[in-house]
Amino acid sequence: MISIQHEDVDINRLINEAKRPGTGAVVVFDGVVRDDDIREMELEAYEEVALKELEKIAEEAKKLHHLFHVDIVHRIGRLPVGENILIIVASAGHRPEAYAGSRYIIEEIKKGVPIWKKELRKDGDRWVPGEHPHGAGKPAH
Amino acid sequence: MTVKVRFFARFRELLGTDILVEKKSGMVLATVVKDIAQKKKEGYDAIFDEKGNFREFVIVMRNGKRLEPAETTTVTVADGDEIAVFPPVAGG
Repeated sequence: MISIQHEDVDINRLINEAKRPGTGAVVVFDGVVRDDDIREMELEAYEEVALKELEKIAEEAKKLHHLFHVDIVHRIGRLPVGENILIIVASAGHRPEAYAGSRYIIEEIKKGVPIWKKELRKDGDRWVPGEHPHGAGKPAH
Repeated sequence: MTVKVRFFARFRELLGTDILVEKKSGMVLATVVKDIAQKKKEGYDAIFDEKGNFREFVIVMRNGKRLEPAETTTVTVADGDEIAVFPPVAGG
């Protein structure tokens, strides 16, 4: 399941469905809204493009890390503290592949998938700055 | 011809999004974006520097494909194109 959606997802169901013949490890990454003195987090995506990129990352992760199955569910909309933002489920024959595959997926998502977060704070709202600043502008010299 | 321009995150808040513009064919992509952004100074200043170039961190896509910096001033838009302009991503 590769999805960008408002609703939460049943993680236990994803884990069960990730178990294929030969599975020895299922790694779950669950990114949640942290209590950084915020009221809520608002997430926005360029959905059509982001979904295609998530699908591409999942396929790459399967090939590179010999994963049997991958789920990526990225939520959008307003999420209060403690809510799930991103769930990644990666299954493999052994734990090194499952851990490495899961790590690969989250790092690739942070690198380039067009999704943004805004912290709705008690002292004013703030867009979370992106981690990779190089865009279409002329490089600074 | 009609071109759709989509802004996201902070740029969307400043300039709106899903803006349909009628342009003559052969117009350079950066000019299309600039024409819209110039309607609101704060939005323009967020995206373009004082020389009128896209700021270093601004990401531009045409029909879902990211453009290299130099391409934004050479690529011309075609009827039905979708241009997306957004700040660095912060998902996950």
